[in-house]
Amino acid sequence: MTIYLDAMGGDNAPVQIIEGAVAAVAEYGINVTLIGDEAVINNVFENRGLSRSGIDIINATEKVEMTEEPVAAVRKKKDSPMVRGALLVKGSHEDAFISAGSTGAVLAAATLYCGRIKGVSRPALGTLVNIKKPVMVLDNGANADCRPEYLDQFARMGAAYIKAAAGVEDPKVGLLNIGTEDIKGNALIKEAFGLLRDDPKVNFVGNVEASGVFDSDADVVVCDGFSGNILVKAVEGTAKLTFGIVKDVLMGGALNKLAALIIKKDLYEKKDLLDPRAYGGAPLLGTNATVIKAHGNSDATAIKNAIRQADKLVRAGMLSALEEAIKQQEENR
Amino acid sequence: MIFEKVKEVIANQLELDPETITMESSLIDDLQADSLDVMDMIMQFEEEFDIEVDEDSLDEIKTVGDIVNYFEKNVK
Repeated sequence: MTIYLDAMGGDNAPVQIIEGAVAAVAEYGINVTLIGDEAVINNVFENRGLSRSGIDIINATEKVEMTEEPVAAVRKKKDSPMVRGALLVKGSHEDAFISAGSTGAVLAAATLYCGRIKGVSRPALGTLVNIKKPVMVLDNGANADCRPEYLDQFARMGAAYIKAAAGVEDPKVGLLNIGTEDIKGNALIKEAFGLLRDDPKVNFVGNVEASGVFDSDADVVVCDGFSGNILVKAVEGTAKLTFGIVKDVLMGGALNKLAALIIKKDLYEKKDLLDPRAYGGAPLLGTNATVIKAHGNSDATAIKNAIRQADKLVRAGMLSALEEAIKQQEENR
Repeated sequence: MIFEKVKEVIANQLELDPETITMESSLIDDLQADSLDVMDMIMQFEEEFDIEVDEDSLDEIKTVGDIVNYFEKNVK
């Protein structure tokens, strides 16, 4: 197995990305191949005195910038880590590629150079959040506009993923909506509801409201990429604000500070539940490879976790599970 | 001949009835493709016809006819 990592993508590249790779080797014994400007990468190793044990480097001279139009950029920059990485993992059940670069560019590179799993209409980005139990939300931003059939496909891919990644048997699927009653929603959602309800391979549990996504029966919640992106970012922002408020209270006087001292450890453990860095990254489901989009502001910890996640997904045979889920859908048509 | 192949790939990619695709159809406005779809299809044609579309011509491709004409002109 080879985990390929885009050393140049993300707000904290290349230093934090490289440190994350070194940490993954040290903590988990997972070997990593960095893709990026070799001279820059070598400099980071030298300046930081990092160990090269378990690390390989592939030189890529170009870089896709955040400001570039993603599709044109990945078409043009064939010697960028994103394109090189996508080509290296194309069709592989043994390898994975991770990038913290532009979401659009990762999606474009994976779709154009890895291709889609046969039968997949649109690849989707998933987000796995584990507050009370693991819940997979998809699509999280790959497809702003969706057709009802896409949501049915997301349901199958999300279920296959959470089964492989978190060991959830017969995952329950919910549909993100503005109410739990069957008749709620816009045209897309109403039609998707019928498809999900009638799909024998989807264990559909009905509509789920945004407020109940992480506290419902559903293990997978499907939505269009526009709504999914808003949902996940709203959760992230609210979590950050809530912890800020709690912190202000705990620092607001001598007695409060004493209380803070007592509960600090427990509180920080809970904080990780809502910390996107703890989950590593968002898997891109539906392309013909294992590809993970790490958060743009990933630090070394987030990258280390994304590497562990990629290793786990390859071992769990995620790509084969997705192929099987889509094949069954084709056969049912 | 090339039109038939182009029509088949577009219909498959965009999940459309091939009969609705004409030479005049705009990929984005009429067939609802996005920029990723367009590039995905162009790269499929490049593989099929074994030539690479040059960067300047890429920007000129707006309709089904533009694709057909490009490949008719350049495929040997």
